[in-house]
Amino acid sequence: MKGRLVLVAAAVGSLVVAGCSSSSSSSSSSAAAAGGGSSASTKACVASIGFEGPITGPVASLGTEQLHFAELAVAMDNAANNTKITLVQGDTQLQPAQAVTVTQQFTSNANILAVVGPAGSQEVEAVGGPMARAGMPFISGSATAVALTTGSYPTFFRVVSKDSVQGPQDANYIVNTLHPKALMIVDDQEAYSTGLVSAMLPIFQAAGIKVDHESVSQKVTDFSSLVAKVTPAESVVVLPWQIAANAQQFGRDMAQEHKTAVIFGTDGLFSPGTFTISGSYVSSFGPDITAIPADAAIAQAAQTKYGSFGTFGPPVFAATHVIDEAISSVCKAGQTPSRANVLAAIKTTNEPTSILGQPISFDSHGDLVNGKFFLFKITPAGKYQLIPS
Amino acid sequence: MSFFFQELVNGITTGALYALVALGFSMVYGVLKLLNFAHGDLYMVGAYIGFFVIQFFGGSASLSIAVPLLLVIMFVVAAGLVGGLGVAIERFAYRPLRDAPRIAPLITAIGVSFFLESSALLLFGAQYRVYNTSEFISLSSGIRIGSVTIDSVQILVLVMGLVLMTGLRILVNRTRLGKQMRAVAVDREAAEMLGINVNFVITATFLLGSALAGIAGVMGGLLFNTVTSTIGFIVGLKAFTAAVVGGIGSIPGAMLGGLVIGVAESMVTGYISSTYTNLIVFGLLIVVMLVRPSGLLGRAQLQKV
Repeated sequence: MKGRLVLVAAAVGSLVVAGCSSSSSSSSSSAAAAGGGSSASTKACVASIGFEGPITGPVASLGTEQLHFAELAVAMDNAANNTKITLVQGDTQLQPAQAVTVTQQFTSNANILAVVGPAGSQEVEAVGGPMARAGMPFISGSATAVALTTGSYPTFFRVVSKDSVQGPQDANYIVNTLHPKALMIVDDQEAYSTGLVSAMLPIFQAAGIKVDHESVSQKVTDFSSLVAKVTPAESVVVLPWQIAANAQQFGRDMAQEHKTAVIFGTDGLFSPGTFTISGSYVSSFGPDITAIPADAAIAQAAQTKYGSFGTFGPPVFAATHVIDEAISSVCKAGQTPSRANVLAAIKTTNEPTSILGQPISFDSHGDLVNGKFFLFKITPAGKYQLIPS
Repeated sequence: MSFFFQELVNGITTGALYALVALGFSMVYGVLKLLNFAHGDLYMVGAYIGFFVIQFFGGSASLSIAVPLLLVIMFVVAAGLVGGLGVAIERFAYRPLRDAPRIAPLITAIGVSFFLESSALLLFGAQYRVYNTSEFISLSSGIRIGSVTIDSVQILVLVMGLVLMTGLRILVNRTRLGKQMRAVAVDREAAEMLGINVNFVITATFLLGSALAGIAGVMGGLLFNTVTSTIGFIVGLKAFTAAVVGGIGSIPGAMLGGLVIGVAESMVTGYISSTYTNLIVFGLLIVVMLVRPSGLLGRAQLQKV
C-alpha cells in the first residue's frame, strides 16, 4: 500500500515538475543554442549539476554523506575556479523507479549539464538509457556492478572500481590470509551486495571452502536467528552490506551467542564509531581520507560542517570535482557549457592526483583507470588500520 | 537440540516484540475498525525516545544513574510521550473522519505514517542512532544452559512482554474500562446509547495501544541497538500480519500471532535459510488464512442481510 502511494505521489510530482521544467527547458535551450559557439570567456561560468542519491530511506545515512561531499566539492571548486555552479538535489531512495523519476526531471531541465550519481548499480541500470538519450553525462561515486560499463550506457562514468576487481580481491584475501574451512556469506538483497557475492563465490568454491550463503533485507535488524546458524567451522562471516549499524548488531549478536567468527565487510561498513567489532575487516572502494595528508583541508572542512563520515562521501567529492573541472575547462575554452561539450571534457579527464589518493582518468567505457580498493582491520580500540596491499 | 532451543528463545523474544505492537493494532481495529498504519511509526518514536533518554543521562558509556532506574525512566517516558502522541493523532487526524467512508481514515493513517517518518528524518537526521546496550548491560550477564544463551536484554524483553500482555488482558477482561472497550468494539452506537462515553473509550484505547508501541520501541532499541526513521515500517508490517493471523480485534490473538511469526521466522532462518524466510513464513500464513479466514483466535462474524 505504502509503495503504491509513493509511486502515485512520485508520478504526480514528476508530472508537475516535468511540466514546470519543460518550459524553462525550452527557453534555456534556445538561449544555449543562440550562445553556442560564441565567446563566453568574459561571461560568468554558470551551470547546474544534478545530484542523485538516497537522501531518505534505509540508506539515507550514506546518501546524505554523499550529498554533503557533493555540496562541499561544488563550494570549493566554485571558489577555486570562479564558477557559479549550483547543485540540484534529487532523492532516489536507492529505488530504480524513483531514480528514473528524478532523472526525467533532470533531463528535462536544460540548465542541468551533468549529474553526480546515482548511488546504486540497480539505479544506474534504470537511468542509463534516459541519460544517454538526453546526452547527459553522469558519474557515480559508488555504483560498482560490472555490467554498467560494458558499453550500454555511453554517458556513464564512475570514480570507483567495479565488483570484478573488489570481489575477487576480497575473496582471495580471505582464502589466502584467513584460511577458513567454511564460511557464511550474507547478502542484503540489493544489487550492490548480490553483485559482490557473485564475484566472490567462485573463488571460495574453487578453494574448496564450504559456503553457507544467506540473505537478509537491509531493513532487518534482528540477526539472532541467523547468528545461531554460524557453526564453529565457519571462521569467517562475509557481510557485503551498506549499513554499518546492522553489521555492528550482527557482531553483538555473535558475541552474545559466543561465536568467534571474524566479520569481513565491505564499503558501507567503513564507519568508525558505528562498526567497531574488534578484529573485523572492511574493504572499501574509497580510502580513509583522514589518513591522507593532502586531503587534510577537505577532511577538516567536512568534519566541521557535517560531522563524522565514512568512505561513501569522498568518491562523490571526486565525481563532482570531475564535473566541476569539465565545466570550468569548457568556459575557459571560451565556449558556453552544454551537455555535449561537458561530456567531451569529462571523457578527457586526466587528474594526476585526487581526493582518493590516486589519479583519475577514464577508459573508453567510463571505468576508472587503475582503480584501487583499500582494506582495513579494526583494532581493539575500534580504529581502522589500513592493511598495505 | 540446543540449536532448536536457541532459535526458539530468539524467536519468542522477537515474537514478544511483534506481539506488543500487534496489540495496539488489534485494539484500535477492535474499537474503530481502523487499520492504523501509523502504529509502526509509534514504535520508531518510542525507540528514539529511549535513545535520547540514554543520551540525557550521559550516554551509554558514562551513565550518570543506575541502569535499573534508567530502564524504568526509558519505559515510562516512552510510554507517556508515545501514548500522548497516539491520543493527539486520534484527536486531530482520525476523529474528524470517524463517520467518513472507511477508506478516508485508512488513507489518513498512511499519511500520518509518512508524516511521522519524515518528521523523524528531519528532526533526528539520517544517521543510525545506536543504543550500545552492551556498554551498560553486559553481554555475559544472563542465563546459559548448555550452549543456549539467553542474555539479560532478552530476559528483560520476555518478562516485560509477559507482564504487559497479562496486565492488558486483566484490564480488558476485569475492569470497567475494559468492559466499555469491549462494548464499543461490539457496537459503538449501542454503547453510546447505553451511556458509555465513546470518545473517552477510544482515546483510552489509543493511549494504551500507543504506549505499548512506545515501550516496544525501547525494547527494540535495547535488543537490536539501532534506531532510524524507517525502522517502524517493517515492524509495523510484521505486527499487522501478527494481528491478522491471530484474529484482528482479538487481544489473545495478537499475542499468539506475534509469537507465531517470531518463532516461524527464527525456525525457517535456522533450519532452512534466511533467503527464504519471508517466502516461507508468509506462505504459511496464507495457508493459515485460507483455513481460518478470521485468524487463529478470531471469531467469524455474522452479517445481517
